[in-house]
Amino acid sequence: MTFLFYLLAAVAILSALMVVFSRSPINSVIFLIICFLSIAGHYILLNAQFLAVVHIIVYTGAIMVLFLFVIMLLNLNTSNEPHKSQLTRITAVITGGLLLLVLIAATKDAVLIQAKNPADYNIGLVKQIGQTLFKQFLLPFEISSVLFISAMVGAVMLGKKDSKKN
Amino acid sequence: MRLEDFLLMRHELLLTLIAIIILIAEIFTDDFKKQGIRPLSIILMAIVTIVGFLPAPTGTLFGGMYQATDMRLMMKNILNIGALIVFIQSASWLKSDDNQNKVSEFFLLLISTLIGMNFMISSGDFLMFYLGLELATIPIAALAAYDRYSNKSSEAGIKLILISALSSGILLYGISMIYGTVGSVYFDKVSVAYGATPLQIMSFIFFFTGMAFKISIVPFHLWTADVYEGAPVNVTSYLSVVSKGAAVFIFSIMLVTVFQNIAAMWKDVMWITAAITMTLGNLFAMRQNNLKRFLAFSSISQAGFIMLGIIGGSELGMAAVVYYILVYIFSNLGAFGVIAAISNASGGKENMSDYDGLYKTNPALSLTLTLALFSLAGIPPVAGFFGKFFLFTAVAEKGYWWLLTIAVLNTIISLYYYLLPVKAMFINKAETSIAYFKSDGWTKVGLIICVAGMVIVGFASVIFEYIRTLSFGL
Amino acid sequence: MKDMSVALKFIPLDHYVLLCIILFSIGVLGVLYRRNTIIIIMCIELMLNSVNLLLTAFSVYHSDPTGQIFVFFIMVVAAAEVAVGLAILVMMKRNIDSVDINLLSRLKW
Repeated sequence: MTFLFYLLAAVAILSALMVVFSRSPINSVIFLIICFLSIAGHYILLNAQFLAVVHIIVYTGAIMVLFLFVIMLLNLNTSNEPHKSQLTRITAVITGGLLLLVLIAATKDAVLIQAKNPADYNIGLVKQIGQTLFKQFLLPFEISSVLFISAMVGAVMLGKKDSKKN
Repeated sequence: MRLEDFLLMRHELLLTLIAIIILIAEIFTDDFKKQGIRPLSIILMAIVTIVGFLPAPTGTLFGGMYQATDMRLMMKNILNIGALIVFIQSASWLKSDDNQNKVSEFFLLLISTLIGMNFMISSGDFLMFYLGLELATIPIAALAAYDRYSNKSSEAGIKLILISALSSGILLYGISMIYGTVGSVYFDKVSVAYGATPLQIMSFIFFFTGMAFKISIVPFHLWTADVYEGAPVNVTSYLSVVSKGAAVFIFSIMLVTVFQNIAAMWKDVMWITAAITMTLGNLFAMRQNNLKRFLAFSSISQAGFIMLGIIGGSELGMAAVVYYILVYIFSNLGAFGVIAAISNASGGKENMSDYDGLYKTNPALSLTLTLALFSLAGIPPVAGFFGKFFLFTAVAEKGYWWLLTIAVLNTIISLYYYLLPVKAMFINKAETSIAYFKSDGWTKVGLIICVAGMVIVGFASVIFEYIRTLSFGL
Repeated sequence: MKDMSVALKFIPLDHYVLLCIILFSIGVLGVLYRRNTIIIIMCIELMLNSVNLLLTAFSVYHSDPTGQIFVFFIMVVAAAEVAVGLAILVMMKRNIDSVDINLLSRLKW
């Protein structure tokens, strides 16, 4: 189990780095998919089965396909993308590193957090999640339908063809 | 849950209802009848705004997830007024040929953002807050790119969606840390258990940063000017007034309730950012020539002033914040209304030099813009003066004298640049000033509401007293 | 499936926290480092995913399903956000024939 955790963590971090540093957008998408799959592996390790399945369906299945589709459609797969200036890139790396350091320093006492409830490793099962979702969190579920309708209308509005202009 | 409980959610339910009506009207009407969608949406919105003011029960729903108190209802009503004015002001702009085939989308997206803001203000836990926040920002990004063939508009859209996604990411990281340390997402539980361990302080900083992006507090303001300039004028006015107002409302509620245990800490952070925000916003506003950018920076510095009331933190401070937003809605929408009218009539003239000699040709519009700018600057006869006065009182009451000094100095600086467009309109001579044009009925109604609001809200002290009585129960 | 054991029995919580911090920082780094808008959006997705993993780890640790519900909603919102974001991106490509974010930097003070 411990070995699996470290393996998945290493895969996730390496592929995340490759997303940032690989030259062509297609490669970035592929590495992001690998990263997401390893995160799904983490969900399974945590026994969050519902999330693991939804994650694979929504992220790797829908969102990443959308990315690939746009890249293909717009023919963005050129690896000669001009880079930011050397100075900006160094600054970006330093900023990211500093953020990492500060976060590690601030979270080093995360071990001190007390678990709130007695251990129950079944909370991630579909049955439990479904009951919580439709009892306690019914209202947010309904709001997300409004969100989807508005996102749909927005996307259609932007993509719609004008009948008059060409 | 009984049927009467739905009365608590009447703002959101009514808005959802009119969104559905507009959607159905769009689908089932032919091109000719679509002309009716504009007046239909405006009338429906007016009805919702009026119904919102009727007395209603208060309480909590869904196990504390949805909270309806008198103060929150008042905030929603204020936002409804702002949205109604934006609807009225955009009516004549939507009539143009370019926009005619996407009228109902405009209203639908604005209404769905309003639903999001209302849910966000009523939220009792972080999940509702997050969903409301996203519902209030995602459709706005689509609207910022409304002008599909303009480079600037698509620039505004992509910047807004990137910044809002990035800031939600940062905000969510803070929320997840809060959840991790406290073990709950409900505001009442978090406020009790929140302490000052390094992890919790860091989570607050992430949360603050995410919200600072949304309210465009310096140093997280750089997107504001570009987005405001690129988006269509009516979307900009909505973004700068209603969106910002909603974010300020929920931010002040959360600071005072959820983060009350670390009030000493966030007051220090707010002190510094408020001072920087006011000063930098003012200094940059001075250098602008495009009036939309000018108002963008002015709105940044206004955000700094609003933070004064939150730092005051008292019941007077909360009342001052809500009152100031009400005044700000009328003044800023008045200014944007005039700019939109002139921009639409003159084919996109938005620079300050274009306004030379405007008083000779269009006296009514010039006077309205002057009044609105006076109100933003806080010159006595108009409501803006009272708004600033109450904010300053709230800070002085708590003894923040240095901050008060900085704020007063900034008010004086802001007088200078708010008078620049006034000087252009009244004093500068121009060979070719913008010709006289006749605004249509909707624009006139919108501007008259703004002017009436600026005058009445200032002189009717009942309004402030009323808001003050509400602010006991946040 | 019910008797599947949980990694948190063997791995301390702060390992998960550390992993999420690293992923989050890589996401921030990517946003600052790249010029291609589509990759910036992907890096923001990476940040959201690190948040998701963190929430799930905390949720399992506290034995409280709220965190996992939160993750579910973050996925929902991310899908909507990406849909609108990519629609605007396609529009931008159509207008200025590029997805380079630096072409848009007209940041005047």
